[in-house]
Amino acid sequence: MRIVIAEDSAVVRAGLVEILADSGHEVVAAVGNADDLLAAVDEHHPDAAVVDVRMPPGYTDEGLRAAIAIRRDRPKTGVLVFSQYIETRYAADLLGAASGGGAAGVGYLLKDRVADVEEFVEALSRVAAGGTALDPEVVTQLLGASRRNDGLGTLTVRERDVLALMAEGRSNAAIAGILVVSERSVEKHVGNIFSKLGLAPSDADHRRVLAVLRYLQS
Amino acid sequence: MRAPSDNVPSSQPVLMRFLVRSWEYRRPRLWVGVRVACGIFNVVLGVLLLASFHWLGPLTWLAALPLAGAALIFWKVYRLQQDSVHRVRELEQSRAHLVEDSAARFRRIERDLHDGAQAQMVAVTMKLGLAMKKLGGMIDGTGQTDLDRVLELVAAAHRGAKEAITELRDLARGIHPPVLDQGLGIALTTLAARSDLPVELVIDLPERPSAAIETIAYFCAAELLTNVTKHSGARHATLEAVHLPGLLRMRVSDDGCGGARVEARGGLVGLTERIRTVDGRLQLSSPPGGPSVVTVELPSHA
Repeated sequence: MRIVIAEDSAVVRAGLVEILADSGHEVVAAVGNADDLLAAVDEHHPDAAVVDVRMPPGYTDEGLRAAIAIRRDRPKTGVLVFSQYIETRYAADLLGAASGGGAAGVGYLLKDRVADVEEFVEALSRVAAGGTALDPEVVTQLLGASRRNDGLGTLTVRERDVLALMAEGRSNAAIAGILVVSERSVEKHVGNIFSKLGLAPSDADHRRVLAVLRYLQS
Repeated sequence: MRAPSDNVPSSQPVLMRFLVRSWEYRRPRLWVGVRVACGIFNVVLGVLLLASFHWLGPLTWLAALPLAGAALIFWKVYRLQQDSVHRVRELEQSRAHLVEDSAARFRRIERDLHDGAQAQMVAVTMKLGLAMKKLGGMIDGTGQTDLDRVLELVAAAHRGAKEAITELRDLARGIHPPVLDQGLGIALTTLAARSDLPVELVIDLPERPSAAIETIAYFCAAELLTNVTKHSGARHATLEAVHLPGLLRMRVSDDGCGGARVEARGGLVGLTERIRTVDGRLQLSSPPGGPSVVTVELPSHA
């Protein structure tokens, strides 16, 4: 993968470059602010951009706004936003910014997740390939906020777990591994989720994205 | 060069304010009532004396005494009312400053944590994560044997963790220096010892001021000593802290180049404002060529 990194902290930036280079990816640019990020994406057309939310000059959400701009203008570049805190609002803004792509090609992770190098690189690959990678923390916060929704309210605890993992961007096989159940029963849960949320059986992948979106936007 | 007291808000002597508080502040309505009643009584008395002029004859001039007394009393009531209006304005200003100051301080602490220790720890976990991945690969036999690289990563992580500890310790001390719990005297001694400049200490603190006052005094001393080191070019400084009844007086003097001013956006303005929130005051004397003397007076109890 060809990757652009935008992160204002020099130690974290250097660490990211090291991890990604070690995993055999090419970091084409590593910048420290949002303007440089947009310029680097325009110049290099990377597969994915790793973006810190808080960057100079204002140290508020410059990175997030740049990420939204990239999602809008360059749908082929996956955007992985990462920060010290998870704000559900940011997740919603990010997902809402796509031009019809829904939750495709976007990720939002806590910086802590970088510690699990392989998982982080896998999440980034998923995002670059048009998948999703949402932090379990986003999912937990949204789950707390979405208790009252009718469609989601009918889901069983296990189905909620499966939906949460789907939101993180996991495949059925990965979900089966995490929940220690067979892949068949995961498929059954996924089917139940689709029917409870009233998603017609068409393109399976598209339905996954829709289910996740329904879940996030509830 | 402006006069040294420029921009330094004047305030009543701290001791005087303390005395006024002790009775006037406790029963304010009662005291206003007593004053007004005395005034009215004097007016009535004066009018009665005037009305009985044909009995008093040449002694009628005595009526002037109660009338003058009444005038004095009403003038005093008017002055007190003016003072309290002024005081309310002053308190509103210093409260607004206090609120802004504490919000700004929390923002600064968050920023320091975010940019310092937190970022440092993220980098540490990344290095350890990478080292773990390499070790795992070696044990599985899927990766190359590269122990040197692993050692390098672990050493870098170790260094980073130690830096994070130092940053956290400095930050914690900036929030509340633990040595302050043992008293202002010991805290100031530590502060003087840590200073880059030789600091002579004169400490006479037979009683401890309240904790809030100690904290303000400590941070004032820290900032003033930093100023001396950074700006004055002095080779020597003196830090004095004396606790008088009801009053803590602290003085920082140096043999530097002088010319310090209380300027907008300067450090001394912030300090003055912070001191004002507890009715203290800051006086600066810093003629060009030095020496500079900053005197801070704080009430013993906030």
